[in-house]
Amino acid sequence: MPEKEYDVLIVGSGHSGGMAANILTQKGISCLMLNAGPQADFEKDRTSKATYELPYRGFGQPGRLTHVFQATELNANQWVDEKEVPYTYDPDAVYNWVRVRILGGRSLFWARQSFRLSDFEFKAAEIDGTGENWPISLADLAPYYSRVEGIFKVTGRKEGWPQFPDGNFVDDGGERGTDSESIKKFTEVCNRRGIGVSKMRSARGENGLASSLNLLLPDAAATGKLDIVANAIVREISLDKKTGLANGAHFVDRHSRREMFAKARVVVLAAGALESTRLLLNSNLANSSGAMGHYLHDQIYGISVVASVPEARDGKAGQGLMGGSAFLPRFRNLKKGEKNGFIKGYCVNIGSGGGANPNFFADYGDSLQKKLDSYAGSCVSGSIYGERVARFENHVRINKDVVDEWGIPVLHIEARDSDNERKLAKDAADTIDDLFHACGWETINKTDKYYPPGYSIHEVGTCRMGDNPKTSVLNKWNQSHDVKNLFVVDGACFVTCGWQNPTMTILALSMRASEYLADQMKQRNL
Amino acid sequence: MKRRQFIRALTAAPAAPLLKAQQTAAPGPAPAAQRGRVGQPVPQFATAQPDAAAAPAPSFFDVGQFDALRRLGDLLAPARDGYPGATEAGAPEFLDFLIGVSPAESQQLYREGLDALNAQANKQFGKGFAELDDIRADAVLRPLLVPIAWEKELPSDPAKRFVAQVRVDLQTATRNSREYATAASASGRRGRGFGGSAGLYWLPIDPIYKG
Repeated sequence: MPEKEYDVLIVGSGHSGGMAANILTQKGISCLMLNAGPQADFEKDRTSKATYELPYRGFGQPGRLTHVFQATELNANQWVDEKEVPYTYDPDAVYNWVRVRILGGRSLFWARQSFRLSDFEFKAAEIDGTGENWPISLADLAPYYSRVEGIFKVTGRKEGWPQFPDGNFVDDGGERGTDSESIKKFTEVCNRRGIGVSKMRSARGENGLASSLNLLLPDAAATGKLDIVANAIVREISLDKKTGLANGAHFVDRHSRREMFAKARVVVLAAGALESTRLLLNSNLANSSGAMGHYLHDQIYGISVVASVPEARDGKAGQGLMGGSAFLPRFRNLKKGEKNGFIKGYCVNIGSGGGANPNFFADYGDSLQKKLDSYAGSCVSGSIYGERVARFENHVRINKDVVDEWGIPVLHIEARDSDNERKLAKDAADTIDDLFHACGWETINKTDKYYPPGYSIHEVGTCRMGDNPKTSVLNKWNQSHDVKNLFVVDGACFVTCGWQNPTMTILALSMRASEYLADQMKQRNL
Repeated sequence: MKRRQFIRALTAAPAAPLLKAQQTAAPGPAPAAQRGRVGQPVPQFATAQPDAAAAPAPSFFDVGQFDALRRLGDLLAPARDGYPGATEAGAPEFLDFLIGVSPAESQQLYREGLDALNAQANKQFGKGFAELDDIRADAVLRPLLVPIAWEKELPSDPAKRFVAQVRVDLQTATRNSREYATAASASGRRGRGFGGSAGLYWLPIDPIYKG
């Protein structure tokens, strides 16, 4: 059987892998994409069901997907089965690793919040006085952000704030409408305190989908330069011992368990931060720095404050008074030397017009129902996305004692929050509460508790980039310091994640790295 | 053919070829399995949910525990505004099943929680919780109710933790029932929240065979 050699082997098919395929194939480079899971048929694999038709009445099968808080009985089959591909963690440090292996990966299910990182993140060490800067700045990435935003049709309101860089936004057709009185009042209170209030920025995509599958892979496939193999679980990246270069990957067919080898001149990893890192650790390569697996971080989700607008109670929550949303980008620690007892920051999401959760009250029966009826429509809620600090001790390593369904050693994940996260969360809850109070609203629920690490599905940082090969895994082009024809283009390369959804940044970095790679191949440097 | 003619014909049939076939033991070709003609529809029938056709048979909780659970359902998830309560929605019976197949931690929380309610009811009023009128049941239940600011962090006290959990579970099992969906449909409104609603269900996607 003739052995085919591809120019580039791409592992993973989500946003980062899809972007790599999109860029490389359109430059005439042949690519093989290996995806660990099957391709879903959106017509045949989905059906409308009443909740009562489900075997567990919507509760979900007990004991299944215990770490995927996003899982419901309706969507349980879209996530990776934790028993099929397990991971381990210390009992006192639960980690929620949320994975998708369907072709297109997590790009099929993301919330589409679309932000750029700012130089408050790229140059965070200068602001925080600790940690590392990225080896790139916003100016380096801005042209790529613009192109990505065009492809994904990002909507947003331009503000001109340095911590919230504007983008190449498409017109939203005025669908946001005008603010309700409650949102106007909240905005006034924030502005008096120097806190900017904006609107959510999000990717419209096409037909309700902003995924690799519909926005990136079609153009790649149209070139005739892309082969996709589904159900291909990569076991190990192979290294040519003579040249020290990667030359392909060993993979196992998910159904038959047949072992295969795919040959390529360059390897691009895009399997998601932790799967790419797991693959490299299992392959025992590209880790001369010892930084691989370390600096795992993501974002704090949770923190909830709910207040009731008194004049909207008892059925008076009309459209003009209640409804709509507001978005507060980071406003903490933007000045050097600002002291809040913690570093980094958070954004706040505000929603107006909801009701009260029955759990807020130590009550039941008619008495509880009267409260719920009174509060209906009168509530304003605030929640945050906050930055976790990238710390060396938060890391992943291979647990050789546990293997997945295909005999591949699994990850052991160790991620614990520090006082910085706890103080940031408390500040967020207190600040939102204070703002609501200043509006004259009654807080009916407040918590500074938040989900365990991993919940945000924004895990990043385990192959961070940097100029120094002794402290980083990748250079500023997402290229391995150690193995020149090996690139990691997913979130593993992050130095700091900020409070922003990382998707736009991952896409822009993958685009930039892929163009660099194509250029290097053209110049025969690779 | 009359019966007598049929028997005669049968007995007259030559036996030799059959015997020969048995002696040579050479298997004939297997009959071709029917496949249905491609492009021709095979009849499909609407099938009923078990709950629509039969009653559940609770088996996990003992009688005292199950009666207390039903009483909790009456109090914490009552019928209202044309919508069924926990009892009408079969929520206690469903939770008997659900908790019965749940991890040991959940089973312990429920069993000990229900036992604690009965013990407290007996201590205060000399009866099981299910036998208490509303005022007496309130005297037992209300001290165990606490506000829950975040559903992922329930009280550490086991009895309060149980009450917080069972309140959510009874309400969810009620809202997600066929009876609730029927009431929502009859009222021209869809059910509130996740309950009583329809959603997009993902079927298993190209599952692997595990033998």
